[in-house]
Parts: sequence; structure tokens; C-alpha cells
Amino acid sequence: MERATSAPQTPGESPAACAPPRVKVVGVSKTFPTPDGGVARVIENVDLTLAEGEFLSIVGPSGCGKSTMLRLISGLTPVSEGRIVVAGREVTEPPPGVGFMFQRDTLLPWATVSENISIALELNGTPPAARPARIAELLKLLGLERYADYRPSAISGGMRQRAALGRLLAYGPELYLMDEPFGALDAMTKMILGRELLRIWSQDAKSVVFVTHDIEEAVGLSDRVIVMEGPPGRIKSEYRIDLPRPRDFRAVRLLPEFRDLCERIWGDIGRHSEAE
Amino acid sequence: MSAETDVRPARPFLSPAKVRLWFDRLLVFVLSVGAWYVVANTILDPFWISSPELVAERLWRITLNGDLWWHSSATVWQALLGLALGLVVGFGFGLLLARYPRLAEALDPYIMGLYSLPRIALAPLFILWFGIGLLSKVMMAFSFVVFIFLLNTMQGLKEVDRDHIDLMRSMRASPAFIARRVQLPAMLPWLFAAARISVGLALIGSVLGELLGANRGLGWYVEHASGRLDTTGVFAGLTALMIIAVLMNQAVNLLERWLTPAK
Ligand SMILES: Nc1ncnc2c1ncn2[C@@H]1O[C@H](COP(=O)(O)OP(=O)(O)OP(=O)(O)O)[C@@H](O)[C@H]1O
Ligand SMILES: [Mg+2]
Repeated sequence: MERATSAPQTPGESPAACAPPRVKVVGVSKTFPTPDGGVARVIENVDLTLAEGEFLSIVGPSGCGKSTMLRLISGLTPVSEGRIVVAGREVTEPPPGVGFMFQRDTLLPWATVSENISIALELNGTPPAARPARIAELLKLLGLERYADYRPSAISGGMRQRAALGRLLAYGPELYLMDEPFGALDAMTKMILGRELLRIWSQDAKSVVFVTHDIEEAVGLSDRVIVMEGPPGRIKSEYRIDLPRPRDFRAVRLLPEFRDLCERIWGDIGRHSEAE
Repeated sequence: MSAETDVRPARPFLSPAKVRLWFDRLLVFVLSVGAWYVVANTILDPFWISSPELVAERLWRITLNGDLWWHSSATVWQALLGLALGLVVGFGFGLLLARYPRLAEALDPYIMGLYSLPRIALAPLFILWFGIGLLSKVMMAFSFVVFIFLLNTMQGLKEVDRDHIDLMRSMRASPAFIARRVQLPAMLPWLFAAARISVGLALIGSVLGELLGANRGLGWYVEHASGRLDTTGVFAGLTALMIIAVLMNQAVNLLERWLTPAK
């Protein structure tokens, strides 16, 4: 929130040079107690820097600790070792300006779609008079106008995910933490929302950490893709995605560089991946 | 469906399913009262089981002379006070125990022990402590319902979706905000379940208190009638109790429908 408004980041260049990083993860490990009384190392010595305005994706096999990484950055789960700094402040509790979209849809079941979105507006201090217009705008963007008064149990899985995305956008964070936000969407909606996400991101130059199983999606969206392995979760490799920006989420897939990057990441993840 | 029209089906006041349900209920009523009528008029003397027409007549009479209102209002009032007290204390104590799991673990066997005490055995103590006025009946009703509210509050709080709380925390919602907007709505079904069970129990407590010493109330009426071998009076009192229990339960259902939006 305290960040000065800057022009959208230009692609390829390292934005870290001109602004302090949005997120700095230094030597972080995470252990959980196991049911049999031992400890499970879930994250092992991870270092990571997210530049201001950078779009970073994390891919990796199921169970390698991607969701846990996001929870650590969000401050919901404390680190066991190391430290995490978001916007210059060490994370001990959820920091301001961070929006988290969980892997599981977490809409409140007793509230309607628009009430669910409204809660985020309430929490970010939008005055009540301004909320209905903003809600209507988001519902339109996500193609949910007709379902404003529906409860989550009465809409489809993909619609629930869009509603959760709407809540995230309504909150309007500086840092987006998105855990497989398009996981339950059909290819077409995925394409539309991916495009929309790119548009929103390029307008406001927000920082994004995006977890996905879909390598093409990661390459299409990101400035950088991190491949994790595990457990215990470690960073295996990192790819800078120097595809031109502004990008068309669909057209970019026709570029030979795109195919090439996807192939290399695929090769890297190798046999033990469950990604489709 | 077009974009303009509301696609939710309008709920008709009397759907076929509802009509059938009421028909079935009426059928049960007619069959059981009919069986009672036949038995009372053939095999058994009404001295033992009275009879539907005698009970109906008695109910009609005490409705007209005000006795029914006089007694049932006392019973209902005591039950309601006991319910309210049980709700407040059970809910408050449940929140406290949920907040301090160590205390909850320590108290668990004692709570369970107290919960299973036969209240009738406590009745003499209640009269000793609270007298034979209103208070002993309210406390009797309270002793039945407080545990229900306590246990359901704790369980309801435990069942609140952890991710919903975390999501609110990630947006820096205060604990009070989370309590009001996430935990309370999530717990409402548990509280209403407790209320539905408690309505019957509170009436039992109220009547039990009256059986042991009172000069008013449906419990007193039933006790008094049975002392005079007035079977019809006993049955009339019990019938009135059943009707009241059904009505109070219905009131809880209405309150629930009003407070919790349909899922
Ligand atoms: N609260 C917890 N307590 C114990 N173990 C946990 C906890 N949360 C995560 N783990 C463990 O951490 C590991 C990584 O889990 P995580 O959810 O981060 O994986 P993931 O990479 O997101 O997988 P997926 O792609 O399937 O979502 C798993 O082995 C899991 O069992
Ligand atoms: Mg995950």
C-alpha cells in the first residue's frame, strides 16, 4: 500500500534493480510434527526473491510444498527456520496488502456470491456506498452477473473459483498469492481469465506468486518460473521467461520460444510429475 | 432461462409434497385417536385410559374457564427462562472452554458426570436451595438444557472450517470480525440443533419441578388429577404439554428459517 505507483514493469529487465523486492525469502525451512511423533521436513532451505511487479509461477509435483510456500509467505503459517520479508517488513502475521486465493475454494457457504465478494471490500476499507458498483463490475468481468444472489452450493465448481477470484480482485492486494486458481476451469474459461489476469496485472504492476500444475499456463503468464521438487520442498531450477510483453495469453503459445521453454521445463520435472 | 429472469423456482405455499405431508400427519392422528377411542369404548374402562371425547371435553372446559392458560403459562414461562439461562450460560461456558482447551480437557469427565446425573434425584436439593417458587423450576429446566448448549457450542466451534478463518486472517480481519462473520454463522445450525432438543427438555424440567412442589402449572395439574384418580385430567394435562412442545419446536424452526438463509 505504501508503494509508489510506478509504470508497468517492462519485460525481461530485472525490476529488482529499481525497487526493493516485494518478497524476500531467506533460508526458509518448514517442519510439521508427524502423527507418529516425529517431524516432517516440508520445505528445505528455500531462498527466493520476488521483485516489485514481477509475475512468478511455481510448478512442481504434487506434495512438493507449493501450497506451504504460499502459506509461509502469507504469514498464516510461521516459518521454522529462516525469514520472510514482505514489503520491507519481516512476516510474523499476515502482512497488509496480500491477497491469498486458496487451492480449495473457501467461499462462505451461507453467503451469496456478491456477499462473499463484499466481505473483501469491507476488509480493505471500501466505503459501503462504493461497494455495489465494484461488486457489479467484478461480477461482469467474471461472467457471474446472473449468479450474484446464488449461494456457493448452487453454482458450479468453475463458477465458485471465479467467485473466489472476484473476492481476491475485490480485496485489491499489492501481492497476489494464487494457489492453482484456474484448476477447476475448462480450457476456454481458463484462457479468458488468464488473459484478464494478465491485463489486470499489467495495468497495476502488482506482484504475483502463482502456483500451478499447468506448465503452459505458467510460461504464458510469468516473468519467471520456478520448478520445485520434494518433499522436502526445494527449488530445483528457475527459468526466466523472456517472451514479449504485453503478451497475448493464447497467441504466445504459437511462438517457438514458448514451446522450447515448456519442453525444457517438462524435461526438468521429468518422470515423477503428476502434472497434466 | 434468460438473463433477466430469476431462475430460482418460486416456492409455492402449498406444494403437493406439503399437502401429502399434512395428509399423512392427519392420518396418523386419526388412526391413533381412533384406536384409543375404540379401546376406551370396548376393552378397557375409561377409568384407566380415559377416552378422546372425555379429554377433548375437559380441554375445552379448562380453556373456557381459564385454568388451561393459568397452568400452561406458568409451565411455559419457567421453561423459557430455563432455556434462556441455559443458552447464555452454556454458550458462554462453551466459548470459554473452546478458548482454553486445557481447561476443557480437565473438566471433560466432570461435565460428562454432571450431565448424566438423574435430575429427579437432584430435585430435593433444588427445593432446598431454591425454594418451591419459580426459581427451583427454572433451575430444573436449566439443569437439563445447559449441557446441550455447552456441548453443541464446543462442537460447533470445532467444526468451523479452518480455511475460512485463515482466509479472513489473510485479509487481516480482526478476531471480532471473524467471530461475527465466520464463526457465529457457521455455528448457528449447531445452536439451533441444541435449541430444538432443549425445548422438550426444558418443558420436562419445568414439569418435573412442578411435580415436586407447586401450586400451579401443568405438572401440578397432572399430579393433582392423578391424586384424585382423575385419569381424564392427567390425559388432558399431558395432551396440553404435547401441544405446547410441538408449538415451541415449531417456533424454533421458524426462528431458524428466519435467521439462517437457505443453503
Ligand atoms: N499442516 C500440515 N501438517 C502436516 N503436514 C503438512 C501440513 N501442510 C502440509 N503438509 C505436508 O507438506 C507437504 C507439502 O504439502 P503442500 O500442500 O504444500 O503440497 P503442494 O505442492 O501444494 O501439493 P499439491 O500440488 O498437491 O497441492 C505434504 O507432504 C503435506 O503432507
Ligand atoms: Mg497445493
